[in-house]
Amino acid sequence: MRVVALSSSVSFCLLLSLLLLLASAIRSSSSPLNDPFLGISPQDEKYYKSSSEIKCKDGSKRFTKAQLNDDFCDCADGTDEPGTSACPNGKFYCRNAGHSPLVLFSSRVNDGICDCCDGSDEYGGNVTCPNTCWEAGKAARESLKKKIETYRQGLVVRRKEIEQAKVGLEKDAAELKKLKSEEKILKGLVQQLKERKEEIEKVEEKERLQKEKEEKERKDAELAAHPGKGDGEEKKTDDNEKVDGGTDGAEMPGASQDQDDDYPDEDTHHDEIGNYKDFPTDEEPAAEAGPTSILEEATHTNPADEPVVETKQESPSSEDSITDGSQNDGRTKKEESDEVKKVDDLVSEKKEELSKEELGRLVASRWTGEKSDKPAEADDTPKADDQENHEHTPITPHEVDEDDGFVSDADEDTADEGKYSDHEPEDDSYEEEHRHDSTSSYKSDAEDDLDLSETTSNPTWLEKIQKTVKSILQAVNLIQTTPVDKSEADRVRKEYDESSSKLNKIQSRVSSLEKKLKQDFGPGKEFYSFHGRCFESKQGKYTYKVCGYKEATQEEGYSKTRLGEWEKFENSYQFMTYTNGDKCWNGPDRSLKIKLRCGLKNELMDVDEPSRCEYAAVLSTPARCLEDKLKELEQKLEKMMSQDQPHSHDEL
Amino acid sequence: MRSLLFTLSLLCFASQTSLSWKKEEFRSCDQTPFCKRARSRSPGACSLIATDVTIADGDLVAKLTPKDNDDQINPLVLSLSVYGDGIVRLRIDEDHSLNPPKKRFRVPDVVVPELEEKKIRLEKFATENDPPSSVVYVSDGYEAVVRHEPFEVYVRERSGDRRRVVSLNSRGLFDFEQLGKKGEGDDWEEKFRTHTDSRPFGSQSISFDVSFYESSFVYGIPEHATSFALKPTKGPGVEESTEPYRLFNLDVFEYEHESPFGLYGSIPFMVSHGGTGKSSGFFWLNAAEMQIDVLAEGWDAESGGGESRIDTLWMSEAGIVDTFFFAGPEPKDVVRQYASVTGTSAMPQLFATGYHQCRWNYKDEEDVAQVDSKFDEHDIPYDVLWLDIEHTDGKRYFTWDSALFPNPEEMQKKLDAKGRRMVTIVDPHIKRDDSYFLHKEATEMGYYVKDSSGKDFDGWCWPGSSSYIDMLSPEIREWWGGRFSYKNYVGSTPSLYIWNDMNEPSVFNVHNAYGYYFHMATSDGLVMRGEGKDRPFVLSRAIFPGTQRYGAIWTGDNTAEWEHLRVSIPMLLTLGLTGITFSGADIGGFFGNPEPELLVRWYQVGAYYPFFRGHAHHDTKRREPWLFGERNTELMRDAIHTRYTLLPYFYTLFREANVTGVPVLRPLWMEFPQDEATFSNDEAFMVGNGLLVQGVYTKGTTHASVYLPGKESWYDLRNGKTYVGGKTHKMDAPEESIPAFQRAGTVIPRKDRFRRSSFQMDNDPYTLVIALNSSQEADGELYIDDGKSFEFKRGAYIHRRFVFSNGVLTSKNIAPPEASLSSQCLIDRIILLGHSSGPNSALVEPLNQKAEIEMGPLRMGGLVASSGTNVLTIRKPGVRVDQDWTIKIL
Repeated sequence: MRVVALSSSVSFCLLLSLLLLLASAIRSSSSPLNDPFLGISPQDEKYYKSSSEIKCKDGSKRFTKAQLNDDFCDCADGTDEPGTSACPNGKFYCRNAGHSPLVLFSSRVNDGICDCCDGSDEYGGNVTCPNTCWEAGKAARESLKKKIETYRQGLVVRRKEIEQAKVGLEKDAAELKKLKSEEKILKGLVQQLKERKEEIEKVEEKERLQKEKEEKERKDAELAAHPGKGDGEEKKTDDNEKVDGGTDGAEMPGASQDQDDDYPDEDTHHDEIGNYKDFPTDEEPAAEAGPTSILEEATHTNPADEPVVETKQESPSSEDSITDGSQNDGRTKKEESDEVKKVDDLVSEKKEELSKEELGRLVASRWTGEKSDKPAEADDTPKADDQENHEHTPITPHEVDEDDGFVSDADEDTADEGKYSDHEPEDDSYEEEHRHDSTSSYKSDAEDDLDLSETTSNPTWLEKIQKTVKSILQAVNLIQTTPVDKSEADRVRKEYDESSSKLNKIQSRVSSLEKKLKQDFGPGKEFYSFHGRCFESKQGKYTYKVCGYKEATQEEGYSKTRLGEWEKFENSYQFMTYTNGDKCWNGPDRSLKIKLRCGLKNELMDVDEPSRCEYAAVLSTPARCLEDKLKELEQKLEKMMSQDQPHSHDEL
Repeated sequence: MRSLLFTLSLLCFASQTSLSWKKEEFRSCDQTPFCKRARSRSPGACSLIATDVTIADGDLVAKLTPKDNDDQINPLVLSLSVYGDGIVRLRIDEDHSLNPPKKRFRVPDVVVPELEEKKIRLEKFATENDPPSSVVYVSDGYEAVVRHEPFEVYVRERSGDRRRVVSLNSRGLFDFEQLGKKGEGDDWEEKFRTHTDSRPFGSQSISFDVSFYESSFVYGIPEHATSFALKPTKGPGVEESTEPYRLFNLDVFEYEHESPFGLYGSIPFMVSHGGTGKSSGFFWLNAAEMQIDVLAEGWDAESGGGESRIDTLWMSEAGIVDTFFFAGPEPKDVVRQYASVTGTSAMPQLFATGYHQCRWNYKDEEDVAQVDSKFDEHDIPYDVLWLDIEHTDGKRYFTWDSALFPNPEEMQKKLDAKGRRMVTIVDPHIKRDDSYFLHKEATEMGYYVKDSSGKDFDGWCWPGSSSYIDMLSPEIREWWGGRFSYKNYVGSTPSLYIWNDMNEPSVFNVHNAYGYYFHMATSDGLVMRGEGKDRPFVLSRAIFPGTQRYGAIWTGDNTAEWEHLRVSIPMLLTLGLTGITFSGADIGGFFGNPEPELLVRWYQVGAYYPFFRGHAHHDTKRREPWLFGERNTELMRDAIHTRYTLLPYFYTLFREANVTGVPVLRPLWMEFPQDEATFSNDEAFMVGNGLLVQGVYTKGTTHASVYLPGKESWYDLRNGKTYVGGKTHKMDAPEESIPAFQRAGTVIPRKDRFRRSSFQMDNDPYTLVIALNSSQEADGELYIDDGKSFEFKRGAYIHRRFVFSNGVLTSKNIAPPEASLSSQCLIDRIILLGHSSGPNSALVEPLNQKAEIEMGPLRMGGLVASSGTNVLTIRKPGVRVDQDWTIKIL
């Protein structure tokens, strides 16, 4: 059948062949000769119409007007055949009135496939192409309008983000500064305490040797000796601590179960701590009034850094705060509870000596200070387990409120220009956005958030420590020559332990803040909020999780595969890349490349593996709703709208 | 009966292991008793004599008995048949009238039925006395001789010195182990690694020597990743440890180049060629494991002495002697003679000669749509998109993964709307799963290959526990073919075609033929599906003599290395020489990641492969042509465009192969039989008689040495520059293209317009490129049919011959008078290479019109050559491709 159909080439043989004359006469209505300037864009018309001899654009040759669109390629660059398929390098322009103009490869002209919505590329008679420009144009305009709306709203969100980022960054910087000065002071105190502690221990050692000597003498006289009661207690404590053995990051899949089991304990615990932590007692009204402690600000209410915390502040819930704190240490509630019991014992012992506030602080420091032997943990590359535990905690969703208010129908990229695309897509696509059935959310990622809460509620904590240390030192000084008072010595040791643990925490916080501030948050810092955040997408059996400035993982049940560590933004912030993930068998290290596009919500979607262990995904985010792009889209729409008017369609 | 024949040995995939090719995993000759025994025999050991020579049923027959019959063996029966066109068939088998314990296996369905029509029924034979011999007529040029003591069979010229051409048992190495009854205590078992072969009838191997006379080199016996001219494997100058060429169909994981171990296919057909310009051939129809030694000159006392003889030793584990001698004398005569025994290659559909895009695996429908649209976005034509095993529901062939491919028909229709086809894979291992309809049916019908205990053989392959359909049975093959109907293959459409992979399963005795029958059944199934109106397309990996009748093959799982690009040419030349012209290697290399330069060069070479497909392992990075930057995209696009431009030429060559057996891709010596400089050249090749292509096989190459044979000139395909023949030229090999030349005296038809696929090129006008020789003459052909149906067999085709002579170009019909197809396609550009400038018009008759002539740079493809030579072009002569006309240069 196709053999019978005549190609356009037939028409020029009109002059040569009687036979062909007959054939072409039948189809002359669709002949290109109707329009010698077919396929030429309006901007180019002058070039073709100016003279009778036209130059090939590459300068290689000249051709006559008769040779223009005569279905024979004269110019290597296709200049002479804009309206036919004769030149390999040619381009065909279709006006597509009612829609947007389109430039086609000449290979599409008269190939039997309708490429232009106005059908102008198929005049050879192989196929009849209806004019669909009006419908398609309408749809395209609607889609473009929608897109523009998304950009407009997205821009508002983006601006807000940028403002918040600014505040957040300032706070980070201020906190860092404050922390550094506190670090300096604390360092001095710790040093002093250390010296004092060593002095005491020297004396104690002396006393011990003396005592031993005496003991030995007594032993010689007596028959047996009994172990001290204190030793036994210590052992018990050790046992308790063993339960805490897994605190440095072992995965606890059963964590939530445990939590439920221990719920009553938890409540007690929370109440106690919560009173102390979140609601300053009447005794300390200053905490509420004067934001003198940067440390408090930063760790407790850092909206940009930790949206979770921010959320909690808006609707204070002691449970949340506590949970949050515990997560940071990678612990489960059960462990906490055990510990609380332990601390409770301690507390009851010391009750009479300490003020309520000091008591509270002691409790808090005990259960956070347990980790002081591993201070580096906090600013280590975040542990995945932290997040796991986090997910298992049955607390209110971490969504930032403002995000809930937007409908994410925004889209700039069509499916065709999805994750495989390695360049910024053209916006000419008329297609509706694809909604994907993957779920997507973002969650707080508690990674490098240190719990310095015990230091935060009271603006004068440092002064107090200073005061305490001073008094201790003085007290111990007084008794230096006399036999060591056990309680005084314990006080020095305790104070030393607490202070150095606090110092460790401050130091890790400092280094994590420094690291954070070095990150690339984008030209307007619009990606600041990605820090410490994770975005999730469930696809089939896998849950993909992308954490800003951290890592990306693929989880299936309890098994987790690292798709990569945060690498950088690429192509002017169009892509986020994660590299050096888990090694693939017989393949490369896993990696993930995320295409960013404008959307009202941060939403991860379309995770895929186009090549073995090279993953691709799309993340919609207001951060990519750029002003310039919006202008461009608006201009395009304007152009489309103006095009409608003059060329009204017959069929309308 | 089947259960006795089939003893499955090796299983589906070596590739399951992560190890690459290891010599020790494959049985060497020393570990193979029949090979070891045969190889250690001394020349002259054979004492069989021919007696009772007579004529029976048009054949010369004789008995072969030991001269001193102490061995008490039964006489063997020799029969010699003669077919027209210089073909002699020699069969030697046990005497079945003597009630042997078991018939030996004869390979059915390989020799084409038409051969019988060519049989010359012998009525008499002549006798000679010195030495005692019986002689029969073969053709005017040749006769066949059976010498009696010891027996020897040879073909010789009839005139002059009566020079020998090819012979069997001239060196006395013939041995035929007869079937026996297993005695008590006889250990006939053979073990290799974990495999045991029980061999119920004891050893039954056959070996003999074959000599080729006046030969410089021998070629053929694929499939090996080695040089085109076969290297000696035994004798002076050859390392002791050198293995014979092994013919044993195997799935070899990450095969190495330069290894004599067998690959996926086996064709026991060898061609010789020598300085006199003459060729001869020898073919042994046998499906058992085979080993072949090429013996170096001086391997025995007799050889050498300037006789230019090449001795070879053929060893097979079982079967009978069913051999063919091909007298030649021209190389093209030998391949034609072989084709008249095993058939010519099937005429492919036009789409199958375009570019194929494959990957293990295009993941889902979205991926398919994406890849398809990217080709359009980059204006790169392609015709077929392929789906590997992952498209199925758990490797159950004929099914689709419903999550990834929920709408297979719609997907195919979308491709089809652009004239593109889809190919899905169907492998022979059937998942043993009671809920799988195919397994259920095959089990119920008893269609599986049985193990030695009579149960369905249970092997391990991609789907896990798997069984194999018994493809040796015609009934079962027909059933299998029925699986491809649209009704049975749910989700298939008329634009879907098939790929048979992994079809080398080792089956003792008929082992090497299994994949052949599987290929045949699938191909016949597609013919049935299309009600005999649609030419099938089935790609197979396993090969056997006759495979060419059923579809295309590729050289299997190669690697993204320069050496694998290099070895692809000798491999394809060998396949073409042994009948299988529709072949290609995976562009880019299946394993590994090609650097962009290698990939580009591979596309440039691959554009001339008869079968042109890009493919990649699933562990590799994506490598579609647009993923390596704009420049590389441009280079790969141009390589693919080159192929599409030359499609009319390729299609004409496929028709030539379909008629004559002469391959599309040819060694230089097939076109220049006298030119000894070409005999071992396997870096360059001819496409048809008109195009010489020199591959670039090394990284960073900007120059190439190209030997251009013959006395006539050659024209650079890209820029028209002229090079003299009979000389090695040093020339530029820029990144834009590999050296390619049109031979003076030829006409090459092209279609210069770019399209999305070959489908849209149907109505496009032709360009004729006429390369004039020193007498200002040239000729060439153009074949056209509908590109898809079997109507061409009923004469629906156009076959033109274009002759340029005395300043006149003539288009002549060379189709038989009953042939009829019309086309209104025009020839709109005629390029004359080697014509002096001056004329500015031409007269077109019978239209009596003038056409303009202009001088301009030669162009080909989208990349503009920097320094095109000015050539003479006839603009728009307006002549139709299906009509007689002349164009006279004025």
